[in-house]
Order: sequence, then C-alpha cells, then structure tokens
Amino acid sequence: MSKNIIDVDHVSIRFNLASEKVNNLKEYTIKMIKHELMFQEFMALDDINLHIKKGESWGLIGTNGSGKSTLLKTITGILKPYEGSVRVRGDIAPMIELGAGFDMELTARENIYLNGSVLGHSKEFMEEHFEEIVDFAGIRNFLDSPIKNYSSGMKARLGFAVATMVNPEILIVDEVLSVGDYQFRKKCNERMEEMLSGGTTLLYVSHNIDSVKQLCDHAMWLDHGHVIMSGPSEEVCDAYNTRQEQLFKLEKKENEEKKVAERKYAYDYLVVGSGLYGAVFAAEAYRAGKRCLVIDKRSQIGGNIFTEQIEDINVHKYGAHIFHTSNETVWKYINRYASFNNFVNSPVAVYKDELYNLPFNMNTFSKLWGVQTPAQAREKIAQQIEECGITQPRNLEEQALSMVGRDVYEKLVKGYTQKQWGRPCTELPSFIIKRLPLRFTYDNNYFNDTYQGVPIGGYTQIVEKMLDGVDLLLDTDYFDYIREHPGTYEKVIFTGPIDAFYEYRFGHLEWRSLRFETEVLPVENYQGNAVVNYTEAEVPYTRVLEHKHFEFGDQPKTVITREYPTEWSAGQEPYYPVNNEKNNALYAQYRALADQEKNVFFGGRLGTYRYMDMDKVIEEALLFAQKELNRRIIDTITGTSDNLEA
Amino acid sequence: MNSLKFRIKMFQQYKGLIGELVSRDIKLKYRRSFLGYIWSILNPLLVMTVMTVVFSAMFKRNIENYPVYLLAGRMTFDFFTASTNAAMNSVTGNAALMKKTYIPKYVFTVSKVTSALVDFVFTLGALFIVIIVTRSGFYWTMLGLPVVFLQVYLFCLGVGFLLAELNVFFRDIKYIYRAMTTAWMYMTPLFYPIESLPDGLATFIKVFNPMYYYVAEMRDLVLYGRWPGPRIFWGGWFFGILMMAIGLYAFQKNKDRFILYI
Repeated sequence: MSKNIIDVDHVSIRFNLASEKVNNLKEYTIKMIKHELMFQEFMALDDINLHIKKGESWGLIGTNGSGKSTLLKTITGILKPYEGSVRVRGDIAPMIELGAGFDMELTARENIYLNGSVLGHSKEFMEEHFEEIVDFAGIRNFLDSPIKNYSSGMKARLGFAVATMVNPEILIVDEVLSVGDYQFRKKCNERMEEMLSGGTTLLYVSHNIDSVKQLCDHAMWLDHGHVIMSGPSEEVCDAYNTRQEQLFKLEKKENEEKKVAERKYAYDYLVVGSGLYGAVFAAEAYRAGKRCLVIDKRSQIGGNIFTEQIEDINVHKYGAHIFHTSNETVWKYINRYASFNNFVNSPVAVYKDELYNLPFNMNTFSKLWGVQTPAQAREKIAQQIEECGITQPRNLEEQALSMVGRDVYEKLVKGYTQKQWGRPCTELPSFIIKRLPLRFTYDNNYFNDTYQGVPIGGYTQIVEKMLDGVDLLLDTDYFDYIREHPGTYEKVIFTGPIDAFYEYRFGHLEWRSLRFETEVLPVENYQGNAVVNYTEAEVPYTRVLEHKHFEFGDQPKTVITREYPTEWSAGQEPYYPVNNEKNNALYAQYRALADQEKNVFFGGRLGTYRYMDMDKVIEEALLFAQKELNRRIIDTITGTSDNLEA
Repeated sequence: MNSLKFRIKMFQQYKGLIGELVSRDIKLKYRRSFLGYIWSILNPLLVMTVMTVVFSAMFKRNIENYPVYLLAGRMTFDFFTASTNAAMNSVTGNAALMKKTYIPKYVFTVSKVTSALVDFVFTLGALFIVIIVTRSGFYWTMLGLPVVFLQVYLFCLGVGFLLAELNVFFRDIKYIYRAMTTAWMYMTPLFYPIESLPDGLATFIKVFNPMYYYVAEMRDLVLYGRWPGPRIFWGGWFFGILMMAIGLYAFQKNKDRFILYI
C-alpha cells in the first residue's frame, strides 16, 4: 500500500452536453429518434494523475473551465470518475462553497447544526464546538436571526468557522476566501496555516496565484482537463503566469487584428521597400497607431544598408556605409536604434606601388612632392594649374586639371574617374566634377560632419528594430502585390524607382551601377584599412573594402569586397543617379505625374532620383512622416525642432 | 460485504443530517404563523369538517361514524401524496448543495418522506379529537398503528425514490404524477364505501391498489376496533417492501449520474 493520502489514477470525467439539456420526455423522444442522445461529449478531465502525501499542500491553478473544480469534486466524491479511480484515506472537510447547505430561513444557531450535519458531524460533536464556532465567526449578537438577513461576509465567516472547526485530515478549499473583509481573510489564512502545520493535507483552488504560492508547496496546472505542469508551486505558478501574460498579449493582438478587419482598409500604409526611408516612415506610422505593411522584393530587409554577418564580421553587402551627419536630431534619432562606434573614414588610395592618403590633404601633398607646409603645397598646385593653362575646360579632364593640377589628377583622379564612368575623362562632360576639395591640413578624416560612426552590430538590426511590430512581406514585388491584394491599403509610400512605378512610360532613368565580389580570406588583416581606393585605370576594381575594420574587429579571418563599377542597363541594380540634363528632364516628367497622386508618395534615393547620404534619407523620411501623420515627431526626439524645421 | 459495511457507516454518519433536515422542514412549515404546530391538527380537522358536511348527505346512511371513516382514510392518503410529492423534488431541489459537497443522495429523499411522516403522526391528534367528539370510542387495536405507519412509510419511501430519480431525468414527471394521484385518490375508497362500486372494479381495487390495504388497516384499527385480516395485513407488508425494493434499486442505479443533470 502506498502512503499517499489521496491517489487519483488516470481519472477522466465525461459530460454529455446534449443529454444535459434533455430533461423532459418530448426532447428525450425527439433526440432518441434522431439518435442524438450521446453526442457532444465533453471531457472535463482527461487522464489525470495526482498523488498527494499526508501533510502536503497542493494548489490547483488554471483558467476558468480548466477542470480545477471538477477535480476537487471528484476527490470529494460529488462526481464519480467516468474512468480511472480515486482513493482517499482520510476525512475530508470540503469548502467548495462556504455555507453550502445553509438555509436562509433558519437562524444561525439552527444553521450551525444543519451545516455541521451536512459535513457529517454528530449533534453532540456540534454542541461541544458550538461556542468555538460562534466566537470564530464573530456573530454572537446575531445568533437567533435568520441568516437571510446576514451579509455575504458574515455568511462566509460562519461557513468557514463550521468547516474548519475540526482538524480534518484533508481540507479542500475552492476559491472561497474572496469574500469577507481583510481581517477575516487574514484570520482564514492564519487558520489554514495553523491547520497545515498541524499536518492537515490541503487542496486549494484559487485564481490568486500569490496566495497559492504562499499556502502551497506543490501545484498542478490544469488546462481543458489536461495536466500542463505539476510540481513545486513556485515553478508551476511562474510558468502559469508567464503563459497567461503571453495569452493576454496574443488576445490583444487578435483584437487589434479584428478591429483592423472591420475597417475599410487592412492597412493605412503600404510601404514599398524596406530601406532606410521606408523603415523610418513605417516605424513612425506604427508609433502613431497606424497599420503598415512593408513589402520588399529582396529576401532581406534594409535595402542597400543591409549588412550580413560572415565569419562574425558585419559585411556591408551593398558597399561601404559610414554614418555621418551634422544634424543633431538625426544623430539622436538613429542612436535610439543602435550604438555607434567612433569609426572615422580615412580611406587611402593606391596608385601603382604608391600609397596616398585621402581626401587630398597635406599628407597627400607631402607624399607627392615632399612639401611640408601648406604654403609650399599651395604654391606647387598653383604652379601645376598654371602649367596646364586651361581657361575654358571642355571636358572632365580639363576641368580637373584646372582645379588640382597634373600630379593629383594623373595619380588620383584620372584612372578612378575613368573606371567609374566607363570612358576616358576626355569624353566625360566637365559638370560631373564641380569641385575637388583640397585640404591644407594633416587631417585624414574624409567627412567634415560633427557626428560620424558605424553601428556596432551592423545596420540590419536598426531596420529590424524599426520594423518591430510592423507587418512585413519579403520577396514581394509591388505590382504582384497590388494585383493580388487590391484595396487592402489606403496609401502607398513608394521608395522604389519612380520610373518603374509608372512602368517607364516616358523611358528609363539612367543609373550607374556597381558589382561586388566578396571574398573570405584566411588572414587576420588584409589591407590595414576599411577602404582602399585603386586609382590606376589598369586595376579593374575601384575599391577594396575590408569590413572588419569598420568595427575594429579582431576575428581570425577577414572578409573583403572588391567594388567594380559597371555600365548600367535596365534590370541591373541602380546605385547612383546620373543627374544630367536629359535624365533630370525625364525625372521632371515623372515628378509631374507623381505630384498628381493623392495617395501615393515617393521617397528615398530611388523614388526621388537623387543621391542621398543616410542622414539625409532619415531627415526626409522624418519630415514626411511628420507632415503625413500630422504629429510632432521631431519634438519627441530632441525636444527642439530647429534642425528639421523645413 | 465491505460495501455494505461502508454503507451502514455512511448512514450512521448522516442520520444526524436526516434528523436536522426533518426538523428544519417542520420548523419552517409553521414558522411565523400564529398557531404554529397546532395547524398540523387544525388543518385536517377543518378539511374533514368541510368534507363531512359535503359528503355525509350522500353516504351517511351506509356508513357508521362517517367523520372517523373519512378522516382515517384521508389522512393516510394525504400522507402518501404529500410525502411522494416532496420526495419527487428532493434531489432536484437540493442541487446546489449536492454540487458543493458530498452527501449520500438518499438522505434528502428519506428526510422529505420522514418529515411527512412526522406530520402524519401529528394528524393523529385530529383523529383522536374527532373520535372523542363523535364518541366513537378507543380500542386496544390502536396500539397496532405504528406497524401500519411503518408499512405506509416504506411504501411511500419506495415511490418517493422512484419519483425523485425519474424527476432528475424527466422534469415533466410531476405533471403526470399529479394527474395520477388524482385518479388514484378516486380509485381508493376514501369518502365512499367500497361496496358501492360494481363488483369487478371493487375486486380490482381490493387486490391491486396498495393504498386500499393501508386505508383498510387504518379503519380496522381505529374505527372498527379489530385486527386486520391476514390478506390485508400481509398485503400491506408485501407492497411496502416491494415498492421500497423497486425504488431503491432504481435510485441507486442512477444516483451517480444525478450530478450531471441537476
């Protein structure tokens, strides 16, 4: 024989929902004829095992309808198991409802005897404990009033007093202490704890998880008649709480979705493209309580700022991205999404076997000519410009020569520009280079901005965080989407190429494109710098990136990317707009169409046919979001809106 | 054997409850009424008076001491209808309690029939008053009344169990039963002499109507001052025990399913 005081073995309780409703002959006959009598079975408990040793205290937890009370009733003997067996070795004091069996018409005195006999006590026994009960319940002055005149708290007190008068071997309590004042609840808890320390076995059902934790050393979690978990009460209660919170969130989300379904459009905004512009707008729209769907034809998010981890190194898959800005608002904004390191872009240029610092500064000039002072450098350049004798530059070569002189042009501009544009500088129009900045200091920092850095952990995380909570569809083409899901959105934010949106009706806008060759090398440090430019025409690539240096990495291997400029043709990835007269005129035509749109907005590099740094993209996206969502976003970033007031 | 021992133990434990329930019924019945328990006697007396006035014109010539004849029959039959009707609702009426705590379900049925029995005993007071007033006289045979009471009690308990059980599953039983008891009352010679019926029907009632046996026994003991004949006496036992067995069997067989239907 086991020493358990309660043994519940493979117990199942089955309710027949159909027959429960049949309680007259007419329905019975109808149902019998239709053979419906035994349908709709409902397992209130399914194969439950519970073994309780003497002196243990068990809490039963679970949502409404999970089978807690059914299990208690089965142990108490009110319900007989459909399958399995229940064995109880000891007297049970059931408190499934306090004062069960009170007759409202009878007085408290009479009810004490009645209730006592309901619990199976003899009259002599009751007489013996009568005073004790009356004292505990604190109803001495009302002993001879009918209890229909009692408050619910008084009734509960009386019920509790009668039920706990003896030290039962097993005490079964089903959420009974929720009534009554604080004093009484305290008294009840004390009484129960006293009984527990006296060796009483407790079975306790409550929705108050804290009280279960406090009173019980074991707990069982039931759900729809099944045991989810059983063991030490702390563990089970915590797991239960966690699950409840999850469910609560899920339900909230479902409700939101339901609300959306009831609205005219499923989405307020369809954002085409998950690049920086689209992501910033989607994040702000979501924060403003709007529903956004972001679609992207690529199978990853982030557009060209996408970074991918290779060999534990964040690889800039679409070229070097170094964040730099002088706009404090934008800097603060982007810092909400990532921490930035103090990377400073100081590229170097390789020409044949010579190596020069960029941008063109005193380090460069010193290497070229052995000069030391800015005055010497200025004199040298002025002398070289004069030697060329160009007053009316006819092409890019002449333009450059007239600005920086022959040495700088030949070694650092000529070959690089030729590779970038795919034709000799003599054949390129002069307007491409409006100025070639020369710096007469020994400062190698490529950018002049106040803030500069690379996000620790790469750029993809930024977009991921921005899109948190926003619906996202990858590998989805805009035209396919609107064909398959017409009318699911109210407005479109289009960050793809504007000419593509109008199906190239006026012709293609031209772009310059790039091709990347990425390679993992089994060396720790390949070139000693993040960006190295190759300025001679004979080397086919323009740049080599060594990604680990963006984040000062010390991984055992390295990843490098060679950047090849390529001639752009329709279908290739567009990188840099070719803003010549022809293309600008074409864009103006598309722009005119775009301005007619009421519910389509174009944004970003591709949508507005402009080269933009990341900070500019964020600024524009925020300005647009502020206007479109009618919300002071900038205030929430800095507290001032000076920098971004358009 | 074990289960029988367990049953007896349970009965021991809960017989106190039966007592409490019976005393509750009785206390509540006349609570707040001015005359209280006296109504238990007064009420049948008044009803008897009315019926005597109404029916004595019809049957007086054939029946000696009509008031006693009428009251002895009527109180027996009233006990039967009152106890079985109360028993019928004993399970369904205590649903709340049964769902909350474990109590053997027969406790409620037994307590209802017992409450009615106590009332029945009270009405003996009315009977004695009528006997005194009509100078009918007291007989030694009246000492046999407890035996008859026990027989009727068993019979009513059996019917009560059956009805209580049926009522759980078919709530319309009470309407059927109401019609049945009315018919049954007229088929029992309460205010008419059995001899006034056609022979065939009289024989049928004499043999197959259990209530005839109990009414006849009552009248033998109280009115005629003689011991009932063996057929009547043993017939009373027979129907009492038979009904009790049927009722108890039906009740026990389905008692575990009650909780699902109440």
